[in-house]
Amino acid sequence: MVRPGYIINRMAVFLVLCGVALGAERFPPPEFVETNHQLPPINQITDVTPRSDIYEYIDVGVLLAALGLSSYLVLRKRSRRAIFILMVFSLLYFGFWRKGCICSIGAIQNITLSIFDPDYAIPITAAAFFLLPLVFTLFFGRTFCAAVCPLGAIQDIVLLRPVSVPKWLENMLRLFAYVYLGAAVLFAATGSAFVICRYDPFISFFRLSGSLNMLILGACFLVVGVFIGRPYCRFFCPYGVILRQFSRFSKRRVTITPDECIQCGLCEDSCPFGAIREPTAEWPVGYYEKSKKRLAYLIILVPVLAFLCGWMGFAVRPVMSRMHERVRLAERIYLEDTGKVQDVTDASTAFRATGQQTKELYAEASKIRDEFGLGGWLVGGFIGLVIGLKLIGLTVRRQRVDYEADRAGCLACGRCFEYCPQERLRLKNAKEIIGES
Amino acid sequence: MKRRTGVIIFGIVVGVLIALAVVVGIVALVRLDVTGKRGSGLEKAFVYDIQELVTIDPNLILYEESGQAIRTGFKAAHGIALGVDGRIYVAGDKAVEIFEKSGTSSGRIELAGAPRCLTVADDGKIYIGVGDHVEVYDGRGKRLASWGSLGEKAVLTSIAVFKEDVFAADAGNRIVVRYDTAGKVVNYIGKKDPDRNVPGFVVPSPYFDLAVSKDGLLRVVNTGRRRIEAYTFDGDFEFSWGEASTGVKGFCGCCNPVNFAILPNGGFVTCEKGLVRVKVYDSGGIFAGVVAGPEQLVKGGVCRVCEFPAESQASGFDVAVDGDGRIFVLDTIKNVVRIFGKIKGQ
Repeated sequence: MVRPGYIINRMAVFLVLCGVALGAERFPPPEFVETNHQLPPINQITDVTPRSDIYEYIDVGVLLAALGLSSYLVLRKRSRRAIFILMVFSLLYFGFWRKGCICSIGAIQNITLSIFDPDYAIPITAAAFFLLPLVFTLFFGRTFCAAVCPLGAIQDIVLLRPVSVPKWLENMLRLFAYVYLGAAVLFAATGSAFVICRYDPFISFFRLSGSLNMLILGACFLVVGVFIGRPYCRFFCPYGVILRQFSRFSKRRVTITPDECIQCGLCEDSCPFGAIREPTAEWPVGYYEKSKKRLAYLIILVPVLAFLCGWMGFAVRPVMSRMHERVRLAERIYLEDTGKVQDVTDASTAFRATGQQTKELYAEASKIRDEFGLGGWLVGGFIGLVIGLKLIGLTVRRQRVDYEADRAGCLACGRCFEYCPQERLRLKNAKEIIGES
Repeated sequence: MKRRTGVIIFGIVVGVLIALAVVVGIVALVRLDVTGKRGSGLEKAFVYDIQELVTIDPNLILYEESGQAIRTGFKAAHGIALGVDGRIYVAGDKAVEIFEKSGTSSGRIELAGAPRCLTVADDGKIYIGVGDHVEVYDGRGKRLASWGSLGEKAVLTSIAVFKEDVFAADAGNRIVVRYDTAGKVVNYIGKKDPDRNVPGFVVPSPYFDLAVSKDGLLRVVNTGRRRIEAYTFDGDFEFSWGEASTGVKGFCGCCNPVNFAILPNGGFVTCEKGLVRVKVYDSGGIFAGVVAGPEQLVKGGVCRVCEFPAESQASGFDVAVDGDGRIFVLDTIKNVVRIFGKIKGQ
């Protein structure tokens, strides 16, 4: 039970703090006598009205509705056109209207920070944006990627002349996404930076402002995206990495055909994302024995790879930790104090003005670097594990009798539907039924 | 055959385009200055380089520092005044320290609050501005009176005595209060009144100084307008001088001069904060020369300008002048009193 004395003490402390704040505002704002400029009312200067909470709940509501509608359009309606319209809506709403923030991809960092920093309270919107697409993916596949994600939408719209990416290259490039995820989690966990947001290539378009370099980067992604379907989603999206794993276990997911596959092969080249798996041939003679041996070697290799990559992650901690501003500052102060640089920076001058001891700064930076050491082991180990499992995945031969959408890689865009003669038949029948009625 | 060639050409074009986009993208990413290390990228014309103003033409410097500075012993010194007997009174922390001409300490008055300003009347009474009110002490440190508070917002930053009148500058309320020597408010001076042609005081920072000149007019710094204004004791605005300028003849920054004193010849000594300068003007406000600039008022052996808000606020030096025209500058950064005399031949 909370004692009344405790509450009174806390309130007294609160009032004292408020007193300090009031004391700081004792001097009135300046008067602009010459220009007769009138300052707006003081509450408008000091109290910038935040965005009303209701809009955040509306965002979550729109997300929920869009996910539901997307799932319906992908699984029941099976309409590429309707999916495209929803995609455009999502681009306009979550992209240009909400300026790309908050987004599910960036929410990974909020979740991470809330786990590692007890002082950070995660906004409910961020939690919802992170969790809702995962829940929907678990039930319906990647319907979030299909028509709700604004980053996916902007790339999907520019995809005009798709070319296929060789499988080996696709598998290799996809590793970037795992590295990016690991780095994003590490930097968020150490409180260094939200790199996903910082390096979001499309945010400059959504906000209609940004640095020239980010605009160029975004433009490059779009240029590549004209030919290679959704390059960011496939090769870099850290949230896509998580969605891929959830999608493997999804209860329902996209099927190319609404009925039985007649193996006509017409859908074979319909997917610009290389997510259609062909029926497999019979195993060649002796293949089983060979692959069994290879698998055994790879299983042994997995921990070795994890250790090696973990060690590499640990070894690059001095470089990685520079992402944290305190480490950067400590290094700068060291260079200045040892006479290795002659000039000073704004940050170093500001630090010296605080009167804080250099030793304290070094100790703080050293602690952060140690955190990066541990994080480097974990992230590196994770990447090594992914590489190992990827190699195992390539070795294991799966039997398939029909053309199937890849459980993990299918973005549920619905492009393949119309290529399927069974689908066309279904649509024809549906039209006839409507005509008769 | 033609179609096949077309496909190959298309493939090459697409490949080159993708490769080009990838290279450009990587270059853009690598060259991204996320830490702001490369600065704003603006041309030099847009850079506010105050360092250029630090150096002052040696021909303009009329004074030189004489003797050792007097250590006040305060952590935060605020105001300086001179008695008719030549003793030096410095207000700081929660006390007033009294020094002989030689610089040796001769007394100390402990106060309940932190003083911001003080003055010493011809009869030896010490008037001290403590927060929102005036306290009066005799020469031995005995409190004679404590006048009433001027209100919650009041912050007294300067005080002056002239015959039977005591003037206190209230920076919080941006007004000058005229008292009689018994502590009764006679009238207020400087409240904005277009009908009386009173412009009103613009006081963006807690510096608001005043003094009474031999011509019988009250001089008050209107820091926001970067000028010194003259008022009658009844509150009529007479004239002003001073201009806003980064040049040596004007007053630089948002609110300067922060303090001033009147020379025996009727001229003025002014102190500026931020770009720390102590300068001399004649009685008409015409620039006469420099007592000390940032290069003379060194800190830590390195010539520098106060760049940070806290440092800038602390650099509001106070100044007093004795009958011989020597200038006593209270260095509020080092908390010492520095004495400047005219360079021979000037």
